[in-house]
Amino acid sequence: MENTDWSDVSASLTGDDAAYSRIVRRYERAITGLLWRFTRDPAQCEELVQQVFVDAYFSLKTYRGDAPLLHWLRKIATRTGYRYWREKTRESVETTLPDSDVLEQIAAAQDDEIDPTEAAAVLQGLLARLPADDRLVLTLMYFDECSTLEIAERMGWSRAKVKTQALRARRRIKEIAEREHLLEKLGWTL
Amino acid sequence: MDALEALVRLARKAREEPIPIFNVADRVRLRIRSERPASVTLIPLGLFGGLSAVAASITLFMAIEFWKYVSSPVMELVAPLPEIRLW
Repeated sequence: MENTDWSDVSASLTGDDAAYSRIVRRYERAITGLLWRFTRDPAQCEELVQQVFVDAYFSLKTYRGDAPLLHWLRKIATRTGYRYWREKTRESVETTLPDSDVLEQIAAAQDDEIDPTEAAAVLQGLLARLPADDRLVLTLMYFDECSTLEIAERMGWSRAKVKTQALRARRRIKEIAEREHLLEKLGWTL
Repeated sequence: MDALEALVRLARKAREEPIPIFNVADRVRLRIRSERPASVTLIPLGLFGGLSAVAASITLFMAIEFWKYVSSPVMELVAPLPEIRLW
């Protein structure tokens, strides 16, 4: 753990609010980047980011310092995002792919010209059709480039479960992409 | 191109997406303050306990003092009765 993190965590535990604010400012960008993959609604994303730091504050006593603080925060953020998805699934919100104009723009563009925001919207739109467990595994793999071991550690799952989940999720997303004729819409059939 | 390869290609571009900045530090601090359980301070509790002990001591002292003047509590209750003119 970095010395600055260590001193700020110690100070936060004694009730120093300014020290905890320093931790929030240091890591909010990384945590926002992760939670942006769980929702593209800015208001909802901001709410989740706040929730992560509030939960982290009240769990700070349990942080042992054997891993970097950011890893610990990412674990809380991933679980917060996962919980959010499960709640949304109960509300059964139907997600749709971005409209055909966006897909056409991506199709027409060269690899370098593809708008990253549009690419992210298409990918997240597809992943949103998966059950929460499948969606989580692929989201962390595609967006955060996590290994199965990292996902297992973050979620407290076994590595075997993550591997099985990843295999099943890939098969499902492939079926969805084919059903949606994604490749034809993107002009990537060659 | 396979559908999975297309997804990997999309993901590679998606990782370059600019992420919004929220600056949540102040709002987090406010939420922590509102959700923090009120700490029970021991000073008022100690003061209340001390005052109760003093009050109990005074009451006990007075009770013992009054008890000395009562020869027999039962007789004291009955004794005044014969002196009362009933007719």
